This record gives sequence, C-alpha cells and structure tokens, in this order.
Amino acid sequence: MKTHAATLAAILLAAAPPALAQAGKDLYAKTCAVCHATGIAGAPKYGSAADWGPRIAAGLPKVYANALKGTAKGMPAKGGNPALPDADVKAAVDYMLAAVKGAGAPAAAAPAKEAPAKEAPAKEAPAKEAGRPPPPKAEAAARPEAGTAAASAPAAPAAPPVQLALAAPAGAEANSFNRLLKPAEKRNPAPADDGIHDPANDGTHALMAPLSAYAGLPRSLAGNRINWVEALGQKKIDPRWDRTDLKAEPVIMDMNVVREVKGSMPDVVYPHKQHTEWLDCSNCHPAIFVPQKGANSISMASILLGEKCGVCHGKVAFPVSECRLCHSKKKEPAAARAQAPAPAAK
Amino acid sequence: MRDPRAWLRRIAFACLVAAAGLFVADIPDARAEYGDIVINNYSDNAGMRPAIFPHWFHRIRFRCKVCHADLGFKFQAGGNDIDMVKIIDGQFCGACHNGDIAWSVENCNLCHTGKPGTRTQVHESTIQKLAQPAAPQPAATARKGREAAK
Repeated sequence: MKTHAATLAAILLAAAPPALAQAGKDLYAKTCAVCHATGIAGAPKYGSAADWGPRIAAGLPKVYANALKGTAKGMPAKGGNPALPDADVKAAVDYMLAAVKGAGAPAAAAPAKEAPAKEAPAKEAPAKEAGRPPPPKAEAAARPEAGTAAASAPAAPAAPPVQLALAAPAGAEANSFNRLLKPAEKRNPAPADDGIHDPANDGTHALMAPLSAYAGLPRSLAGNRINWVEALGQKKIDPRWDRTDLKAEPVIMDMNVVREVKGSMPDVVYPHKQHTEWLDCSNCHPAIFVPQKGANSISMASILLGEKCGVCHGKVAFPVSECRLCHSKKKEPAAARAQAPAPAAK
Repeated sequence: MRDPRAWLRRIAFACLVAAAGLFVADIPDARAEYGDIVINNYSDNAGMRPAIFPHWFHRIRFRCKVCHADLGFKFQAGGNDIDMVKIIDGQFCGACHNGDIAWSVENCNLCHTGKPGTRTQVHESTIQKLAQPAAPQPAATARKGREAAK
C-alpha cells in the first residue's frame, strides 16, 4: 500500500504544478462562480477589488481558512463540497485573487501568488518534499493555513471570535443535521449546476439562469422562492393571457369558497380570484373539482399524492408546507362552538 | 520496479482511486428549479438528451391557461405523448416554438438539455421528495444550516 500511495503521490505531484492553476479555474467555474460571479449572499465578487481588498488585508492564511472552513457570513466550507481536496480549493482562491491583484495590503497579496503552488503539492506528498528545494519564504507563509483553524487563529488576530468558534471542529458531528435540508446557497442554481441539466451540452449554457430573472420579484419561502401571485399583482411580471394576443385579459372571478376542516387547523379559504388570474375555468372544472359546493372530497393525503389541489400545489404552485396560505380562516373558539349548539339541542 | 506488471498495477490502482474520487465528487445533488419538468418518454431511446421544461421561465411570460387550456397540455409530466412530429406540426411546444414566438425546432440542444438517463419527473415536487428522502447532507451544509439558524 505504501508503494501505491507513493505512486499516487508521484502522479499527483507530477500533475500538480501546471494542473493546479487550471484546477483552480475549473473549480471556480463549477462551484465558486455560483455565488462569487455575482456576489450572491455577500460573497466577494470575482474581480472586485473593493470586495476582496479587506479580505486580502486580513492575510492570505485567513482567506484560505475561510474558503476551507467556511464563515459565519455564509461561505460554506469548501463551497459546500467537502469532498474537494484542500489544494483545489486553495487553487480556486488563488484564481479569484489573481483577478484582483494589488487589492488590499501588498504585503499580504504577495504570498498569495507564491504560496499555493508550492504548498499544495507539498501537502499532498510530504514524502517527496525532501527531494525538492524548499522555498523558505512561501513555506513560512503557508504553514499556518496548512494546519487547523486553531492554528490559523493566531495568524489572524483581527478575526471576530464567533468565527473561531464556528471554525473549531469540536461538536460539528453532534449537530450535523441540516435543518434547512437545502442550504440557502444551493437555491436557484444556474442550469449547468442544477443537477438535471447536462453541463456537457452547449445549449445548457445558453439557457437563462433563474436568479437573473428573479431579481426584483417578491420572495416567498417555498417553491421557486418567488411569490408568483404577488409578482403578478404588483405587475412585476406580465405573462400573456393569450399565446399571440398581447391585449387579451383574463376574466377574473372574485369568489371565495370556505371549506370547514376537521381538527384544529383553521378553515380553508379558496380564492377564485388568484386562480382565475392564471387559469381558465376548464383547467379545474369539472375534471378536478366538481363545480358544486360540498361535492368534492379533499384531504391532505390526496393533495400530497398529487390529486385535487395537489395537481398544481406541490409541483408548480406553492407546496403544502405553506399551510397558512390556504388554512387562513380562524375557527371560532372551541368554547363558543360548544355553547352554540347546546341551546339549539334543548 | 523489478516487475513491470507491478508498476502497471500501481498505475491502474492510482487511476482507480482518482476515478473514484471524481465519481464521489460528482454525484448529482439535483436541485433544479421547483417545477422543472424532465420529459423522457422517447429521448433516451432516440439517443437524445431528455427535454427539460422550466415552468418558472414560462410562467413569467405566459399564464398557465395558455398551455394548459388553449394548447391542451395535461397536468401530468410525460402524460402528453409529445413527439417531434407533433411539435413540427404546431402542436404542444410547437405552437410557440416555431421560430416566430420562440426558438424553432432546429435548436435541439436548448430543450434537450437533461443529463442522459434522467427519468420523467416534476423536479422538486412534494411527491418526489416524499418518495425519495433527501440524501444525507455533508457536514459542510449541515454547518451552514446551523449558521443560518443563529
């Protein structure tokens, strides 16, 4: 196994120096660009000296540590892909730093160019390091970042204490459940990064990225994370009602249907208004809903399985997680309900 | 390196490790837009990438009614039996994708953009999530969640 490891190390070492810059560029395009190309969620924008300056001034080890360990401000560790080798992440950082050469303190920016190329292969193949003339200056600069976050802490005294606490690995496993299931930085990715489009297809890269369309639209907490009904109401979007006739307008029907529901949930108010802004009567009636009060049996189970409201809600319209958007009519207090039928029964 | 075959084996092993690393790193963590429809009725068999229909893009431009009432699209992914002949004849997608309202059929790669082998689905739909619990989250995203909760 040792020889295997040595072989692998030799291959990596041989490939590393010229390949590393390319790896950094590739990784940037594949992962980092999602946020760093546009500056989403406060990410320092690629090529923006104003964004990068203060970070570079904090020292290169700090910048590397942030990329590798993540930050409280939103940078996920290794861009959210823990499988990435440290060297690649650093190469991507170098790629981004190269675009803002000269920003920040020059003393801090200088090792940015030197350190990674030397340091990364050194880490991958410590056994081979002895055979290489060590670049003392770059090595010295690289040491702190090679260690844990704790090691990098003294090198960056300016870091806020909260950041250090988060960077510490202790307790990371005990609380590793991700409450959001889908972290914020993975929402609305560009087609090439979304997992179903094929990045190898040239057409994929010609498609519009959702976020470029969503700017300025009212947000919501589910689905596309756009409140489409409000977007239409505020005239932020102007979808045609007819394929070709730009002047065609929908016939809006403003009629609420209240459905009393079992259990403690508030009753459901179904608004025809919002639905007729988007849909034709024939879309729902009579195939999905019999247009007669009390004639439709609807349950959350059937909705979850894609029937009734679930034909759209949970697929393209807001999902069932948004309970209160439908269950919006407060029931009378239980005491009042219990009293009300009593006199009638007597 | 006495035995050349041992050397070869080492190279093979190294390649295997590298390939495995690539594979692990590239497991698709699909997170396309809510309501993106993958249609793979015929594509795979025909050697084309599956077609992807983005609802979000179209609803910015057209109300649901235009496709689902006027053009007769059923509310079911893969349930419309669309083929290229129908599209060329102006049915379904072809009602707009005719080079007049939207790009025409010669731009194969703009619709047929799915990863080969992706099954027909309503992406991110509730039922899809129920049927397939989310894959275990890597520690990095878990920490991100914790940060967001603070």
